Amino acid sequence: MAVSFQTKYPLRPITNVSRTNRPSLLHVRVTCSATTTTTTKTQPIREKKLVVEKRFVSPPLSNDPTLKSTWTHRLWVAAGCTTLVASLAKSVIGGVGSHLWLEPALAGYAGYVLADLGSGVYHWAIDNYGDESTPLVGAQIEAFQGHHKWPWTITRRQFANNLHALARVITFTVLPLDLAFNDPVVHGFVSTFAFCIMFSQQFHAWAHGTKSKLPPLVVALQDMGVLVSRKQHGEHHRAPYNNNYCIVSGAWNKVLDESKAFEILEMVLFFKLGVRPRSWSEPNSEWTEETDLSSSQA
Amino acid sequence: MASSSSFFTFSSQTTLHSHLHRNTFLTKTQFPVPTKSSESNFFGLRLSPSTSRSPLSPCSFKSSIFAKVNKGQSAPDFTLKDQNGKPVSLKKYKGKPVVVYFYPADETPGCTKQACAFRDSYEKFKKAGAEVIGISGDDSASHKAFASKYKLPYTLLSDEGNRVRKDWGVPGDLFGALPGRQTYVLDKNGVVQLIYNNQFQPEKHIDETLKFLKAA
Repeated sequence: MAVSFQTKYPLRPITNVSRTNRPSLLHVRVTCSATTTTTTKTQPIREKKLVVEKRFVSPPLSNDPTLKSTWTHRLWVAAGCTTLVASLAKSVIGGVGSHLWLEPALAGYAGYVLADLGSGVYHWAIDNYGDESTPLVGAQIEAFQGHHKWPWTITRRQFANNLHALARVITFTVLPLDLAFNDPVVHGFVSTFAFCIMFSQQFHAWAHGTKSKLPPLVVALQDMGVLVSRKQHGEHHRAPYNNNYCIVSGAWNKVLDESKAFEILEMVLFFKLGVRPRSWSEPNSEWTEETDLSSSQA
Repeated sequence: MASSSSFFTFSSQTTLHSHLHRNTFLTKTQFPVPTKSSESNFFGLRLSPSTSRSPLSPCSFKSSIFAKVNKGQSAPDFTLKDQNGKPVSLKKYKGKPVVVYFYPADETPGCTKQACAFRDSYEKFKKAGAEVIGISGDDSASHKAFASKYKLPYTLLSDEGNRVRKDWGVPGDLFGALPGRQTYVLDKNGVVQLIYNNQFQPEKHIDETLKFLKAA
């Protein structure tokens, strides 16, 4: 029986890890694959290959450059904020001009409420389906995976670094809306919805913070339920990672979890499309918090 | 939130008509009409006779048209393969009460909870003289792995193609998007004495069936 070794460098590195190749820990995953080839003789030869995959799996150190903000990050955050300010301005100015204040304000509140729901749905989808090779969102799935493994890392990211990906999405979404609509009620909704989505990563980071290190105002807003609380979000970071997905205010978490809304969706997707969500299986090591390192990194 | 207080009566079609004339007005004023149609509801639907007058809602009227195995009827026999690939017939269990529970699929959260709950209460079912059978559309290999992983002491049957599920009229949920979760209790003569449906509170199936068996 012929045995051959095949070494792969695959796997694109996890987002949190520096791209300048500096693994402090190297894990090697070895899998067996069997192939059957036929030869001129009647009996097929079965070859077993050992496939060695090297994967960079070390958590980022606190001075890791991948945690720092770059000018590109800052530009995207600035662009996102500009579109938000423009939308808010349209809402206020349009509202004043039309003597409307209640409707735009209510629309703004609706934006805040629905942003929480939207954050939960998106988070649920990314946590449960796809992987790093999924088109469009593969990098995000990988980032979420890294976050589950090393949740404390988010508190080390600089502001623009943390928000720039969402800021880019907001820029591309809100800019056309700014140009297309002048209605103060529409912009009342858009400005708050988009603000909450864009800054959800900051709310998320605060939810991973320690009380003593957070600004008192942030702690107060968390305690009031205006922002997602540290305790509630901490519940999400426990196996099987299948609850408390919302990260703006967290107000929808109780409703969604008690009504089993995501469980229902997961069942429907399973029976209709045959896809199993990750949360149904025992979480594998790639998605589970690495507790050994947490005390040294925190 | 199972409403085990919701009671509906299913009667044969010959008596249905007379009930409808008498009871329709009562139904509308006194009893809530379920939002879902003939199909099951999520919150627990216990189908058993009540001693008092039994109101019929338009929805339960529709349900009796579609349900093929009703309370009071003899359950139709079937032969399905168990987790070891051995054919098992329902008639083999005549002479003792049987709890037949239809569940969506192996290795899904609700079904796992339900299976483990039946496992944990299995001694109580045995003490009541009853046998437990779980049925889903998964194949024997899947059942074997499921039973082995969770150490299930009872029989799982493979209803490939969901033929028995259809024959018995187990209603689906979410307009058929999900296979229903429905449990039947058969007496020692093979007659259905209790039907309980609850998709998202699987452990309640054990509570309700044990309660019934103990009271019987």
